[in-house]
Amino acid sequence: MKRVVLALIVGFVLLVGAGYAAAFSPRGAPPWAPWCLALGSMGLLMSLMALGAIRHGTLPPVLTWTFAGIFVICGTAFGLALALPDDGGAGAPLVAGLPLRAATVILVVGVVPILVLPFAYALTFDASTLSDEDLRRLRDACAALREHHADSR
Amino acid sequence: MIGSAQSSLAPLAQPGIVAVAVAYFVVVAVIATWAARRTRTVRDFFVAGSGVGLFALAIAKMAATLSGFSFVGGPGLVYTIGLAGVFIILPGALTNALSAWVLAKRMRLLGEVRGLLTVPAAIGARYRSRGAQGLAALALLVAVVGYMATNLLALGIVIDAIFATGLGAGIWIGTMIILAYSVAGGILAGIHTDVFQGAVMACASVLVFGFALGAGGGMAHISRTIMAADTAFLSPWGSAGPMTALSFFFVFSVGSLGQPHVISKFYMLREPRQLKWYVLIMSVALVLTQLLYFSIGITTRALVASGSLAPLAKADQATPTFLLHYTPPLVAGLVFSGVVAAIMATVNSFMNVGAAAITHDLPVAFGRRLGDELRWGRAATVLLALIAAVAAQASGALVAFLGIFGWGLFASTISPALAIGLNWEGATRAGAIASIGTGLGITLIGETLGYFKLYSLPAGVSVTGLSLVASLLVFFGASWLTRARAQDAIDPDIRLVMEA
Repeated sequence: MKRVVLALIVGFVLLVGAGYAAAFSPRGAPPWAPWCLALGSMGLLMSLMALGAIRHGTLPPVLTWTFAGIFVICGTAFGLALALPDDGGAGAPLVAGLPLRAATVILVVGVVPILVLPFAYALTFDASTLSDEDLRRLRDACAALREHHADSR
Repeated sequence: MIGSAQSSLAPLAQPGIVAVAVAYFVVVAVIATWAARRTRTVRDFFVAGSGVGLFALAIAKMAATLSGFSFVGGPGLVYTIGLAGVFIILPGALTNALSAWVLAKRMRLLGEVRGLLTVPAAIGARYRSRGAQGLAALALLVAVVGYMATNLLALGIVIDAIFATGLGAGIWIGTMIILAYSVAGGILAGIHTDVFQGAVMACASVLVFGFALGAGGGMAHISRTIMAADTAFLSPWGSAGPMTALSFFFVFSVGSLGQPHVISKFYMLREPRQLKWYVLIMSVALVLTQLLYFSIGITTRALVASGSLAPLAKADQATPTFLLHYTPPLVAGLVFSGVVAAIMATVNSFMNVGAAAITHDLPVAFGRRLGDELRWGRAATVLLALIAAVAAQASGALVAFLGIFGWGLFASTISPALAIGLNWEGATRAGAIASIGTGLGITLIGETLGYFKLYSLPAGVSVTGLSLVASLLVFFGASWLTRARAQDAIDPDIRLVMEA
């Protein structure tokens, strides 16, 4: 699992790099360059979270779906903002007081992760991040290492 | 930084504002004095004795994350380029969870297992490399001085605006106040004052959000007023375009993993299992505090578009102009105390990590240890503050130039080696050193070429973005090339922490 996530991280970094590289074109950044930055950044963030959440070579399914879901939702929000036509003038429809495309980005990318990720972290913490037993085991193992180190001196 | 370093604020010397500001400084002094008496060891000075509770940790991290830019420069940026300016704070919805999964547990456990005090020390321990630790400390020092100079200049501007001291005197007064509690109490005093300062910032932000919506006639009315005058402003990318906005998003999200004044606070948590609710508390605190950033820039633009307010001479005037015209003096005083709080909390954290780099990491890199690290830590804190205060007195353009280094250097030199290195056994010492060197080189050369106008990047491309991409790729590439030595180069206790 870690190899797959690391490959994703490298792939998303390359995607962001491709977006930046395209901007150096004499004719300016092509239309696909912002897509590289949007999807590359979101993918990189979620892949890094997945890398941090992997334990003993596995990623709990609930977190796999959480990270994939946030990537799809936020990536879609960025995609809609890039793909939809301009909102128009003062008479354009508003969502939560903002033009549609702006609302899509602000409310989805700026709010949805806050409604999901803190709870995903907390609710999987004991089983997937650090339980009392994990902590006790680590402290015991480190104490044993220190004793072994002291004895070998 | 507060915005353009050459900016100045409108005069704020009104009795109500001055009274609130004086009260704020008195409370900070009382808290700092109380906390300073509890600072007895080098661990108290640099990592608050690893005895900080979750709530205090989250608020202190939030206070250190936000500088004066969040209260003045940021709203000014939104006023100028529209929603593109919001992409600097938009990653806040993700970065707390990111740092929790990637860094929090491992940093906290590393601190416990090895008694670590600094971020470069974590890099040194991970790669069993004094060279990597020293190089990271060097990059950190270069960035810290520049970042501190911009924040001290901002503090001088605010103190001058409130107390009419003159800019030079304002910088020295602000420096001496922060220095007083930083030298006496180190980060222990900093954490306790941060909790108060963070609360002031959050209260100020929520209050101003309400006043801003009220002054603009509600969000829908604000939007319609702006859209009638300028359709690009409220497009998702503002008037800066998608490349600039998304580049902000990339740099300020991934780069958050390399901010040493923020991530070093994980060492300070009393009990690692308290991290369970860290993301929730930190996210709520950060969102509340960033309401001001979003609301003032947009509302001020609407008020100008409707003719209620004259166009601003400088974008950085957005916050003071709005406060002076649309909020009671007490609220304005609270917000300016919030600005001062944000700057002081950030500078205190920088003093701490910079002093630790001088007294701990650099000597270790040369195979030496200083005798009385507490005393040397205090001396290094004074030295750094004086250098930064002198630099802050220089021309505004130079200070702004120094400040630009900060975020980019931290992001590109520390993020790959630390954040990925602590989670991937295949990362190697060569990869870490090459990555840190790449980030340092590209940022220094790129920003210097830009400052002297010898080269300019295409629209939407930033030196920090390029540097971050390059240092990540170099990190992976060099680690892959030297992968044969990867597994043997991790100490057993570090491996236990990585696998915990």
